[in-house]
Amino acid sequence: MIRFEQVSKRYEGGHEALSQLTFHVAPGEMAFVTGHSGAGKSTLLKLLGLIERPSHGLIALDGQSLAKIGRAGIPKLRRRIGMVFQDHRLLMDRTVYANVELPLVIGGIAPAERARRARAALEKVGLLAYERQLPASLSAGERQRVGIARAIVAKPALLIADEPTGNLDPQLAVEIMELFAEFQQFGTTVLIASHDLPLIKRMKKRVVVLDHGRLVADIAAQEVL
Amino acid sequence: MPSETNPVDQQVNAPPRHTERQRPRKFASWHEHHWWSAGASLRRLMSRPLGTLLTVAVMGLALALPLAFYLLLGNVQKLGDALGQNQTVSAFLRTGQIGPAAELIATKLRDRSDVAAVAVKTPQQGLDELAKMQGFGGALHALDDNPLPFVLDVLPKPGLAANEVEQLVADLRAVQGVDLVQDSGTWRQRLDALLDVGKRAALVLAALLTLAALLVVGNTIRMDISSRSEEIDVLMLVGASRAFVRRPYLYAGIWYGLLSGLLAVLLAVVVELALAEPVSRLGAAYEGRLQIGGLPPWLLVAVPFAAAVLGWLGARLVSAWQLRKAA
Repeated sequence: MIRFEQVSKRYEGGHEALSQLTFHVAPGEMAFVTGHSGAGKSTLLKLLGLIERPSHGLIALDGQSLAKIGRAGIPKLRRRIGMVFQDHRLLMDRTVYANVELPLVIGGIAPAERARRARAALEKVGLLAYERQLPASLSAGERQRVGIARAIVAKPALLIADEPTGNLDPQLAVEIMELFAEFQQFGTTVLIASHDLPLIKRMKKRVVVLDHGRLVADIAAQEVL
Repeated sequence: MPSETNPVDQQVNAPPRHTERQRPRKFASWHEHHWWSAGASLRRLMSRPLGTLLTVAVMGLALALPLAFYLLLGNVQKLGDALGQNQTVSAFLRTGQIGPAAELIATKLRDRSDVAAVAVKTPQQGLDELAKMQGFGGALHALDDNPLPFVLDVLPKPGLAANEVEQLVADLRAVQGVDLVQDSGTWRQRLDALLDVGKRAALVLAALLTLAALLVVGNTIRMDISSRSEEIDVLMLVGASRAFVRRPYLYAGIWYGLLSGLLAVLLAVVVELALAEPVSRLGAAYEGRLQIGGLPPWLLVAVPFAAAVLGWLGARLVSAWQLRKAA
């Protein structure tokens, strides 16, 4: 599903965020990417979403090299990926429903089908009752759930999340992670960047550890203590 | 790989993943998004009435000025035509020419395509006219005989350009038996030259004000895009193409252009109505020969459409530039 081969990323100014990174994620697998602040977790996810391009190396998704995707192909790639952000990135002047529906509008899905899918996604994250509300009226945890509903509504093959529980209390964080695990159980590949080690240990999934942009450990799910 | 379906699929009994991408409803969704963009951009404009009103007012005034100038020039031209209707060219024949010779020259002139009428004025008629003039009565009694020649009053065809009248005068001077030609239409040449200057100035003004309108709409859209940069980033991150993101801003440009075009037409009509009464008095003073006109209907229809295209163009240029920076 995801292939990183000798991937390096050097930003303008010389800072090397990733260095010679090689790892694979199988289809339907759930993995955490962890490390201290500045280890390169967010850069890794940005490379997957083509928000940034690598300086060296190969990144492939479903066997397709991302280097071959031109500017015009980026939207198509992003429609195959569900993205969840720490700051949820919701449109605050649109209702919860409109936010969740957005990827379907962009994908050109018919209105009736959009309504069914958006409501199903909202129901899945337990927020169907809030569909007509604006995000500003929701708690941080609820907003993050809206962000997750938006990420899953188009049924992506890959779900990536950058510190999705960073702003949440521990109980809510566990609930959100369990939600991700549930999607993984049904075949979605999930890659989560997080520095919350206790939570990562609790989930008992594969962990990729980065330090200063280098892969320092790749711990299989069954080896997580 | 687990064999069960995604929880979202489960709840809605949706078909397997990715099949919706293959549905041949590209055109339908494109069409749908155009409608949505047109409506959403109009709602956005209406949600900030003062800002929209100011932009439309500035653009509308910029477009109305060339229209008003066009109206003014057209009517000055008509005024010149009306005033020039009775401006004859007088050809004084050599003294000693007899009546039949004068009539012969007049007949030849009447055949010309640039001549509307030729009147032959005898020496006696000339003397009578002089006699009616104050101060000449006594002097004429002192004359032994009539020294005045036959005069041909030549009326050029209405609508002749200044250079055509000039050519007619030159031809008259070359006619055998003509001693002197008096052209009272020099003022008309000057007016035509002034009108040419005015027309060129109107064109330059129109081009500059059109550019100003383009900049106004471009700057408004630029500010709109800047204030919505976060929304644009989100749209791009969830897979929106640049065309999708740009579309509402292009419609905003079209709305600004269309509304300002309508305002420009309205202002031009108001100017026309404000001038209607004094102009009709002026027309009456010329016994109906002066027909002052308004803006042609095709122009009133064309201006809002042209302004809408202008608005689209401004939005297109600015949005292409601004969205280059988007994720």
